Amino acid sequence: MPLTVVGLNHQTAPVEVRERLNFSPAELPGALQNLVAQPGVIEGLIFSTCNRVEVVARGEEGANLPPLLADFLAAQRGLDRSDFERFLYVHRGREAVRHLMRVAASLDSMVVGEAQVLGQVKEAFAAARTAGAAGGVLEFVLNRVLAVAKRIRTETGIGTAAVSVSSVAVELARKIFGSLENRTVFLLGSGEMSELTARHLRENGARAVFVAHRSHERAQQLARALDARLIRFDELADHIAAADIVIASTTAPHYILHQDQVANLLAQRKNRPMFFIDISVPRNLDPAINDLDNVFLYDIDDLQHVVDANLRQRQREAHRAEEIIERETDVLLSRLKTLELGPTIAALQEKLHSIRASEWEKTRHRLRDLTPEQAQIIEEMSRATVNKILHLPISQLKELARQPDGLKLIEFLRRTFQLKD
Amino acid sequence: MSTFWLWVTLAFYSMGLAHAVVTVVRRQSAIFRVSLAALGLGFLFHFVSLAELGLTENRFPVGNVAEASSFFAFLIALGFLLAYWRYRVSSLSVFAFPLVFIMTLAAAMTRPAGPPLTPLLEQRWVPLHISLSLSGYAALILSFLAGVMYLIQERELKHKQPRAFYYRLPPLDTTDRLGQLALLVGFPLITLGLILGMINASASWGDGWLGDPKVMLSFVLWVIYLLLVYSRVGVGWRGRKAAVFTILGMAAVVLSWSANYLSSHHAFFPR
Repeated sequence: MPLTVVGLNHQTAPVEVRERLNFSPAELPGALQNLVAQPGVIEGLIFSTCNRVEVVARGEEGANLPPLLADFLAAQRGLDRSDFERFLYVHRGREAVRHLMRVAASLDSMVVGEAQVLGQVKEAFAAARTAGAAGGVLEFVLNRVLAVAKRIRTETGIGTAAVSVSSVAVELARKIFGSLENRTVFLLGSGEMSELTARHLRENGARAVFVAHRSHERAQQLARALDARLIRFDELADHIAAADIVIASTTAPHYILHQDQVANLLAQRKNRPMFFIDISVPRNLDPAINDLDNVFLYDIDDLQHVVDANLRQRQREAHRAEEIIERETDVLLSRLKTLELGPTIAALQEKLHSIRASEWEKTRHRLRDLTPEQAQIIEEMSRATVNKILHLPISQLKELARQPDGLKLIEFLRRTFQLKD
Repeated sequence: MSTFWLWVTLAFYSMGLAHAVVTVVRRQSAIFRVSLAALGLGFLFHFVSLAELGLTENRFPVGNVAEASSFFAFLIALGFLLAYWRYRVSSLSVFAFPLVFIMTLAAAMTRPAGPPLTPLLEQRWVPLHISLSLSGYAALILSFLAGVMYLIQERELKHKQPRAFYYRLPPLDTTDRLGQLALLVGFPLITLGLILGMINASASWGDGWLGDPKVMLSFVLWVIYLLLVYSRVGVGWRGRKAAVFTILGMAAVVLSWSANYLSSHHAFFPR
């Protein structure tokens, strides 16, 4: 199938190159129209994000698209092809389909499994459809690509494990508490990291937030941002037993909570679990706290270990996603084969002419005394009639097949005339 | 007595077994929803099977080991469905589905040749004693499974190096609550079962009933669970300690069951 992808991404090209090739949403419609105006290009799509710029095109049989598309990019961006040619990759046919699926399913992303890329693919697709650049085989392929990407998101865990320190803190809190609804969060100190983590926890349902502070100014700012209650450090002992989650990020050069203190807190809390997050260096929380039952203490390195493990987990899930993509690519290609325009037209012609031929056979037997010349004239007449009847629908079909939903028309035709694959 | 419905049940339960095997072997399973639906359907047919047996024999269907096994599998399936409905603990299925399948299979394979009832089982309170005890045990098994899941997940979280279990097991809070709820349901049931058993035993065996090994072990078992309920509700134990204690309790349950082979009164058929 003559589908071609030419592009570059974060793995092949530095940001200085990517930014110069980037298309803004406002530039897309014009660029798409230019793309399908290129000789040999039937349909096209431009996918431009901060991590990649790709041009996807379906060309006419025999068209050599890669250099053409590279020239197109250069012309659109006012660059010389040699400026970026060495960063380009080219995928054709099956590889092109597979590549599109991998991109949409976020297997080709900087952070494997990130959720954004699927939405970006959808937008690029919508832009191409609106500009009249995709409707036909490319549209059919892209619909399938989006469906496969969605399937991968739901069937594999490719996007579930948290891969940043603050989201890992939330993930761990969920593994401990189940729901974070109405959990109480304590911030000791007011670092940026703890603010981000607290914000994440709030978004996931955690309610009351307390900020214990030494420096009033910064703490007040933070408390306002998080809708939190301020307490002084020397009041901490009165309140901290209420805390389910404690985030420590003070600049104190020593431990501010020790194991025996936390053991006391637990007794007051009737052993309800506590989750301590120590993102300060030097550490603020005595590591021995983790040895208590129902208490979990993670320092910054521990959180990073979980991030690493989660990335490996995503990699494992990515392997499953690759398997799905291999299968889906084959399915899509065999589906496309049955929906190609040329073979459909040929099959339609063959069908009508075989009807014509068999009817002609019957008639000829009944008109036994025809001279060969007469017989030839009648047969030619029947042949011409069928061809004339077919002419208009076929030329319309060639036109309509590249419009949106064009492949449905071909499918409709195949069904109504019972054309075999 | 036909086992037709029981085999139908088993066919549906086999889907659950398949899910569990696939999950263990491939570390993931795409058929959980299907197998859950199959378990639900199997559960309905299981009910039909039990009802048919009860109606044709005109007694509660716990008359021999096979029937008790079938009834017990039914209770565990019920327990799983309730636990899933309440807590969405899909990973529990990996433990519960095979258990349900195997107990039902054992029942289906032995029931046609089921031995005649002992005279003891024809007494009115004995089937109730058995059913209550089995219901209690089913709840305690769920509590035990929740405890096992809790301990594995707790280990993952304490060690801070997440492996496969971390991603698949439910949050600690969920398994802790499930363990507690199942315990609080199971304990009154085994208590009632035990009281009925005592009344029966003293009435029909005379003075010697306390010396029966099964009876003695059951008391030990009951005291263990009493302590466990007290420590959870009264003292406020939760989490790891409670889970460890629950697992010890289960060991006592298994011991007390195996005592059926030592006890002259707790055999289902005459020796």
